[in-house]
Amino acid sequence: MTPVLEAKGLGKRYGRRRALTDCDLSIPQGRVIGLVGPNGAGKSTLLQLACGLIKPSSGTINVLGSRPGTSAAQLAKVGFVAQDTPVYANLSVADHLRMGARLNPAWDEQLAQRRISQIGLDLGQKAGRMSGGQRAQLALTIAVAKRPELLIFDEPAAALDPLARHGFLENLMEFIVDLGASAILSSHALSDVERVCDYLIVLADSRVQVAGDVTELLQNHHRLSGAKNELASLPPGFEVVHADHTLSGSSVIVRTDGAPPVGPWKVEDIDLEVLVLAYMTRASLPTARTVSKPLEARR
Amino acid sequence: MIWMTWRQFRTQAVLGIAVLVLLAIYMVVLGEQIRHSYNTDAAQCAKGSCAGVLSEFTSQYNLQVDVLGYALIVVPGIIGMFWGVPLITRELESGTHRLVWNQTVTRGKWLAVKLGFVGLVSMAFTGLYSLLLTWAASPIDAVNDNRFSPLVFDARNIVPLAYGAFAFMLGMTFGLFIRKTVPAMAAALVLFAVVQGVMPTMVRPNYVTPVSQTVALTKAEVGSLSFFGAYGTVGGVSVPGGPWIVSTSDVLDSSGKDVGHTSWWSYCVNVASPAQLPECVSKENVHVDVTLQPASRYWSFQWMETGIFALFAAVLAGLCFWRVRSRLA
Repeated sequence: MTPVLEAKGLGKRYGRRRALTDCDLSIPQGRVIGLVGPNGAGKSTLLQLACGLIKPSSGTINVLGSRPGTSAAQLAKVGFVAQDTPVYANLSVADHLRMGARLNPAWDEQLAQRRISQIGLDLGQKAGRMSGGQRAQLALTIAVAKRPELLIFDEPAAALDPLARHGFLENLMEFIVDLGASAILSSHALSDVERVCDYLIVLADSRVQVAGDVTELLQNHHRLSGAKNELASLPPGFEVVHADHTLSGSSVIVRTDGAPPVGPWKVEDIDLEVLVLAYMTRASLPTARTVSKPLEARR
Repeated sequence: MIWMTWRQFRTQAVLGIAVLVLLAIYMVVLGEQIRHSYNTDAAQCAKGSCAGVLSEFTSQYNLQVDVLGYALIVVPGIIGMFWGVPLITRELESGTHRLVWNQTVTRGKWLAVKLGFVGLVSMAFTGLYSLLLTWAASPIDAVNDNRFSPLVFDARNIVPLAYGAFAFMLGMTFGLFIRKTVPAMAAALVLFAVVQGVMPTMVRPNYVTPVSQTVALTKAEVGSLSFFGAYGTVGGVSVPGGPWIVSTSDVLDSSGKDVGHTSWWSYCVNVASPAQLPECVSKENVHVDVTLQPASRYWSFQWMETGIFALFAAVLAGLCFWRVRSRLA
């Protein structure tokens, strides 16, 4: 089966600034993929590359088997809701639906109408006068009613208050189930991702830190705690993601490909938040970058 | 996509149509008035004393016709600013390009429809305006015999069509590359003005090599000149047949010597009364050398000018497609 997204050595730079570096990904279909990372980590860049809004500076990216944004057939397969959910301020809700219907051969008018009435949007209202939440819902409706195979959301809930956020994510999940589509959504808030995603990509410092099925990730990562000298010499085959040394003892987060290492330390499972934080912390340390990747010439 | 383009362009289009309708009504009325006066004057002319009647006829309508002509020269600039520039920048500034580029329409097609639709409307606007003005002013132009002179040439027949296309594409291109409405508007207007200044003064005279001719300053010729310089320069030389006078030499005597520093010239220009001037100058048997584009070249110049501006517009359109396809985020 074609991967929903496949990237090889993917990179994007704006002038001298690297927005995304050396990104290798292969994501299976039918997943809800969460893309997390701090602000400026390259999340938007990756998503815009995936829907063809921008072109890579290096490497390749294929979405559902072909280059993003190159043909109408490819555009029909991908629904994208950009950050801050742009809509035409001087067009009404009905105009937006008409636009969707005219510009998308596979447009599902019934679905669109049903969602609009469910959300309680007035068809005659101008998009410029709607709240952030309503705008996001409208943008989501347009993206979904074209019946794509992949939905991409860039920080869909960023502008919403907690209640609207909850409703929006719920709607989003219903859509994904309705369509049987894959979805990628980025967020800097892990809680959003935790609720809806079964596949996780951690992006920090313009690089993919870790990517994989959420269940597998949780199985493959452990926290070892014990005395500092005991943890200083781990057997080979285990990658230390993050180490935390305090006076009372040390704890390290390790990645394994099977059972956790046996030793005089205590082994615990970790939750997603700890895992994500461990990788993001590692990326933010200037020296830690070399732990798992060979040193690259910078600039 | 056509629907979408129309929906976004609707307000501006309605405004444009309203302006054009008002102008059309005015020009039709003016054209009828001009024809009426012309027929009356021509009838009187047939009975004798023609010159005074015709000059009265042209001076009666010159102002209106000139203003309409200048407006037609300015209109493409306005179209570029208010139709060309916002077509793209409005999307880029509000981020809606990220919405529309993810519908099932490739960017190339999106641009082609917008550019084609609004571009054709722009050309239709300047084209219809020009058609009406050319018709309304034709008796005046015939009497003035000056349709080849730059300001009249620019506002008649087919060239305004190409100016419309060019100015629209200029606005669109600046919008696409500058990405901000107001700076792009300013840049488009400035460059359009520069091109419209440079073309008729420096480029158009050389489409075909001008013809040289000697014009004797007879009493009648001196009487029709519009300018006398203190040192032998004159302006407003007219040659029968309506050619475009491209350049005029200083006043020369029969041996080809410049007369600008002779005492008789300074006497004629500075001391003699305007009524005595033609007699004063013409009795010295002097002439000027001019270069001119014969009136017979009028249509080939119209076509060449149109072709050049159409080429500019096509190059700009190519730039827009390249930009939208390959570089923009």
